[in-house]
Amino acid sequence: MALLEVNDLKVHFPIRGGILNRKIGAIKAVDGVSFSIERGKTYGLVGESGSGKTTTGKAIIGLNHITSGTVKFDGVDLAGFTSKKSDIRKDIQMIFQDPYSSLNGRKRVLDIVAEPLRNFENLTKTEEKKRVQELLEQVGLSPESIIKYPHQFSGGQRQRIGIARAIALKPKLIIADEPVSALDVSVQAQVLNFMQDIQKDLNLTYLFISHDLGIVKHMCDEIGIMYKGRYVESGTKADIFNHPQHIYTKRLVAAIPDINPVNRQQQKVYREEVEKEYQQNYNDYFDQEGLAYTLRHISDSHLVALPQKG
Amino acid sequence: MEYSNVEVVEVEQEKAPSMAKVIWREIVRDKVALISFIFLIVITSLVYGVSLFLNQDEIVKVDLFAINQPPSNEFLLGTDYGGRDIFGQLIIGTRNSLSIGILVTLMTGIIGITYGLVSGYYGGTVDNIMMRIVDFFLILPFLMIVIVFVAIVPKYSIWSFSLIMTAFLWMGIARLIRSKALQERELDYAQASKTLGTPNWKIMFFQVLPNLSSLIIVTMTLNLAANIGLESGLSFLGFGFPEDTPSLGTLLGYARNPQTLELRWWIWVPAAIMVFLLMLAVRNVGEALKRATDARQRRG
Repeated sequence: MALLEVNDLKVHFPIRGGILNRKIGAIKAVDGVSFSIERGKTYGLVGESGSGKTTTGKAIIGLNHITSGTVKFDGVDLAGFTSKKSDIRKDIQMIFQDPYSSLNGRKRVLDIVAEPLRNFENLTKTEEKKRVQELLEQVGLSPESIIKYPHQFSGGQRQRIGIARAIALKPKLIIADEPVSALDVSVQAQVLNFMQDIQKDLNLTYLFISHDLGIVKHMCDEIGIMYKGRYVESGTKADIFNHPQHIYTKRLVAAIPDINPVNRQQQKVYREEVEKEYQQNYNDYFDQEGLAYTLRHISDSHLVALPQKG
Repeated sequence: MEYSNVEVVEVEQEKAPSMAKVIWREIVRDKVALISFIFLIVITSLVYGVSLFLNQDEIVKVDLFAINQPPSNEFLLGTDYGGRDIFGQLIIGTRNSLSIGILVTLMTGIIGITYGLVSGYYGGTVDNIMMRIVDFFLILPFLMIVIVFVAIVPKYSIWSFSLIMTAFLWMGIARLIRSKALQERELDYAQASKTLGTPNWKIMFFQVLPNLSSLIIVTMTLNLAANIGLESGLSFLGFGFPEDTPSLGTLLGYARNPQTLELRWWIWVPAAIMVFLLMLAVRNVGEALKRATDARQRRG
């Protein structure tokens, strides 16, 4: 059984206005998203800004209200557990995008990393300190760091503190919301490889939210592409990168930079071709509102939102 | 203990990116604020220290043989129309006024911060209801209610006066904190705390509140100046303390008599100067604190 099953998830935000602040509409941030993640795998959620990928992640962990749909974790529906203290919440943790704002600048590293421990485990001061120092060593920071403040660390180190905090409760699922997009490229690789290492060590499952396809290709086993709150395509890494079917996915894949300068001209021609196809077929692949159609199977693992007339 | 070598890392607990140090540097760099700060400390310790040795009953006792005496060796600042020593009244009055200012500031602070924090943190409907209650308090006629209160309360003490002032002065800070809390709760660290299973009240008071501390310090200091002035103002108008409880306001109140205003300066001028200096000094320190919390305005 899959560890996380998301079925027809919808997160709508009301637009209020007019007299008496009535609800006059809704922003469909996430509009019918379904996917499932197997234990120990990494699932990549890709899309442009505003496509609803972060909202999906936050809805799963309970930071956003779920309008409809089910989120099943280990067979238990999470929609009923909104931010309540329960063992289920303990098993899902999140790594935030911005390592500068996700750590409270007024707290020492000890207090930051020990926060989840204090909520769920009754440890004495010495046990707690020992545990925090172990965690810090696990993420490659020196045990002396516990008395420091977040501003005394670099971006990559801060993200590691965030990771140490996320793994403190030994969760099963970690939602990584663009964990490296705020870091510079040399540090990105460091953090990503480290995340893969602890995934093996702790048998973690990742929901990896990103807009960087290069990183997703490096990290993920399965990938879902989102556009305006809906899925346009989902499948295994090979499905998406080798046989993209939807024009939106094709355009995304074509946009991955190639470091080999010999192919530059060829890449440019290819990219222009894809762009032309995208412009020509836009109306076929999206409905009147510019939204994607329902997903259809084209193979066992590969789903694409193909137009009805196909 | 195999971890004993790790345990040794008991380095001396270094204080925060030390707010206290930043503030101190700012005050030292600003000479006016430094002088104000020293003045405040001297006056406060003097007033509270000396008043321990003064007998309030003795000072406020009417002595008909020594009315309206100009300053002399016996009465350093002369006497009022009841023959009461002005110097003693000034010391005790300053103490009372300061006490009220500090008490009111602290009580409005505690109520306002808690209220604003809860309102801003939860937001939505809770915020809406709580802020309408604040609006209600804001439209109440403050002065009129205080006058009624003075009329119906038989024994008027520092405490009852502070309480009635607190009841009408907590809204400002509540609104300020609420608007800040609304911003803070959206930040990642507050959201992260939620995902880590921290209960809301803990996030409010142990995560969000420390991040508002600079704002709180500045507002409370500036409020203190205002509250000292407000007490004096009310007492001056006759809605504050009776004459047997000296305060800076009651001393100033004697100046409502034209004869006193014109001929017996020693009764009201010292109190006026004291109110003026106290408010100015607190304000100067407050302004320095305000600059200290904003890196762009710092001088130090």
